[in-house]
Amino acid sequence: MDFFIQILIAAVAMGTPLLFATLGGVISERAGVINLGMEGLMLVGALVAFVVMLNSGNYFYAIAAAAIASGIVSMIHAFVCLMLRASQIASGLALTFFGTGLSGLFGDKLMGETVEPLARIPIPGLHSIPILGSVLFNQDALVYFSYLCVALTWWLLFRSRLGLNIRSVGEAPEVCDSLGISVLSYRFFAVVGGGMLIGVGGAYFPLALTPFWVDGITAGRGWIAVALVIFAFWDPLKALGGAYLFGLALALELRLQVLGIDISPYFLKMLPYVLTILVLTLVTIRNNRRGIQVMPAALGKVFFRGEKH
Amino acid sequence: MRIFLEKRVNTSSWGRVLVLGSALLLVLIISWFFFLVVGIDPQSAYKIVGEEIFLTKYGWQDLLVKMTPLLFTGLAVALAAQMRQWNIGAEGQFHMGTFAMTWVVLHFDGQLPGGVLIVFMIIMAMIGGGLWGSIPGYLKANFGVNEIITSLLLNYVAAAWIDHLLFGAWRDPDSNNFPITKEFSEAAQLPAFGNTSIHAGLIIAFILIAVVAWILMKTKLGFQIRLTGDNPDAARYSGVSIKTLTILVFAASGAIAGLAGFSEVSGIHYRLQQNISIGYGYTGIIVAWLARNHPLGVVLSAFFMSIVFVSAEVLQIEYGLPISMVYLYQGIILFTVLGSEIFTEYKLRITRLLV
Repeated sequence: MDFFIQILIAAVAMGTPLLFATLGGVISERAGVINLGMEGLMLVGALVAFVVMLNSGNYFYAIAAAAIASGIVSMIHAFVCLMLRASQIASGLALTFFGTGLSGLFGDKLMGETVEPLARIPIPGLHSIPILGSVLFNQDALVYFSYLCVALTWWLLFRSRLGLNIRSVGEAPEVCDSLGISVLSYRFFAVVGGGMLIGVGGAYFPLALTPFWVDGITAGRGWIAVALVIFAFWDPLKALGGAYLFGLALALELRLQVLGIDISPYFLKMLPYVLTILVLTLVTIRNNRRGIQVMPAALGKVFFRGEKH
Repeated sequence: MRIFLEKRVNTSSWGRVLVLGSALLLVLIISWFFFLVVGIDPQSAYKIVGEEIFLTKYGWQDLLVKMTPLLFTGLAVALAAQMRQWNIGAEGQFHMGTFAMTWVVLHFDGQLPGGVLIVFMIIMAMIGGGLWGSIPGYLKANFGVNEIITSLLLNYVAAAWIDHLLFGAWRDPDSNNFPITKEFSEAAQLPAFGNTSIHAGLIIAFILIAVVAWILMKTKLGFQIRLTGDNPDAARYSGVSIKTLTILVFAASGAIAGLAGFSEVSGIHYRLQQNISIGYGYTGIIVAWLARNHPLGVVLSAFFMSIVFVSAEVLQIEYGLPISMVYLYQGIILFTVLGSEIFTEYKLRITRLLV
C-alpha cells in the first residue's frame, strides 16, 4: 500500500512539468498556433531557473526568470510565424533546436553543480485525507501553483472575454478580423503567455526533480507534452488527467528499477514514449470514428489580410 | 497611403538565391554578436574558423566526412517532404540502421566474403531504418495519427534500444566496460580514399541522390508522390492509393536514413558505440528545408550544414565551446531562413487609398 502511495506521489511530481507545458501548449494552440518548440522552451526554462537559483538561492526569482526567459524566446517563434508568416511547424522545430543549443552551450559549465530541491509543504488539514491527502496535498509549492494554473487557464479560456477572443482567433480568424479583433495580437499574446508556462514546466526539472544540471535535462518530455495537448482535447482540465497518467508511467520507470524487477532499464526508459504513441493512436482512432472535431479549426494556418482593401 | 503584403504568383530563382544569401549573411552577423556574448573576439574567431576549414587539407577532408551522413538524412527528410509528410524521425531510423547492420557483422563477420558481407549490411541497414520509418507512415496512413509526434518519439525509443544492446548483450567483453561492440574486421569496413578518412559512403550517397532525383522527377511513382504532396484530392481521383504511397514513402525515407547509420559505422567508427550520430538525423530536417526538398539541392545544403558542424568543432578545439552549439546555430539558421521567405512569398505593395 505504502509503495503504491509512493508511486502516486512520484506520478504527480513527474507529471507536473508535463502539466505546465501542456497548459502552455493548450493556450497557444487554442489561438491557432502550433508550438513544436516545447522541448526547447522547457530547456531554456530549466537552464535559466537553475542559473538564477544557483546565484540567488531564491526559488521565486528562479521561477520568474524561467518564465520571462522562455517568454522572450517564444517571441522569436511568434515573430517568425505570425509577423513573417512562416510555417509554424518549421519555426517550432527551429525553436527546439535553438533551446537545445542554448541550454547545452550555457549549461556546459554547470555540470556537477547542485541546488537545494524545493521542499514539500503539507497543506494543513487537507494533507491528512487518506491517500489523496499525501498524494496531492503534501507536495512542493510549484505543484500547488500548477493546480492554480489549471483553474486559471480554464477560467481564462472559457470564462473570460480574453479567452473567448483567443479561442475565436483560433477557430475563425477571418471572422474575427472583420469584427475588428486583432488576430495577430491575440495570437502573439497566447504564444508568449503559453511559452512562459512551458518555461515554468522546464524550471521544475532542476528545482525539484533532478536538483543538479545534466545535459538535455528534460529528456524529450516537451514532445510528450506536444502529444498531451492533443490527448487533452485542448482542454486544461483534461490536461490534468493526461499529465498525471504520463507522470505515472515515468514514476513506474523509476520505481520498478528500485524494486529490482528484472526488466532492462532501457525498456523501462522506452515506456513513456511508446505509451505516448499508443495513446495518441487510440485517441486519433476514437476521434475519427466519432467524427469529433475538437481541434481548433485554424490551427497551423497562416493568417494574413493581404487581399482586403 | 496603405502598405500591405501581396502574395507573389512566382518568384525568380535569382530572387530566391538573393534572399537565401542575405539570410545566411544575417546568420554570420548574429554569430558576430554571439561571439561577443561568450567573450570571444569575433574577428579572430572567423579568421581561425575560415583558415582551419578552407585552407587546410584536414579541413576539406572533414567537410566531406561530415557531409556524408547529412546527404543521406537530408535526402530522407526531403523525400517524405515531397509528399508533405514530416519525417522528424531520421535520427531514430539512423540508429535502427546501425542496429541492423551491426547485427549482420556480429553474426556473419568472417563467414561471408567481404563484398557479400557489405551488401548484406547495406540491405539490413535499409530494412532496419525502413521498418522503423514505416511505423509513423503506417499510423498516419491508416489512422491519421500525427506523423511529426510519432516519428520524433520513436527517436527516443531507438536510442534506448541501442543503449540496451551496448550496455548488455553486445558489449565487447574486452572493452573495460565501455559500451562499445568489438571492432569490425576489415571485410565489414567501407574503403577510404587514399589515406584520408573520406570513405565510400560519400559515393553511395551521391548515387542514391541521383536515383531518388530520377524517381521523383522522371517516373510515374515520383509524379504520384509529388502530386499527392501538392493536391491529395487530385491524386486520389486519379487513382493513387495514398495509404500505400504514404507507407512506402516513409519506409523509403527510413531506409535512406538507415543507410546514413550504415555509412557512419562502416565508414568511420568500425564498431557500434554511443553518439555515432551527433544529431545528423535532426540536421537532415534543416538540410531538406534549405534544399526546398529537392534531392539535388540537398547536395549544396548538406555541404553548407557540414561547414556548420566543422566550424563548431574548430570552435570547440580553439575556444572550448561545447559542441551542442551546433544546435543553437541550426536553430538560428532555420529561423532566419524561414523568416526571410516572406520576401520570396510576398511582395510589398504601397497603394494610395481612394476613399
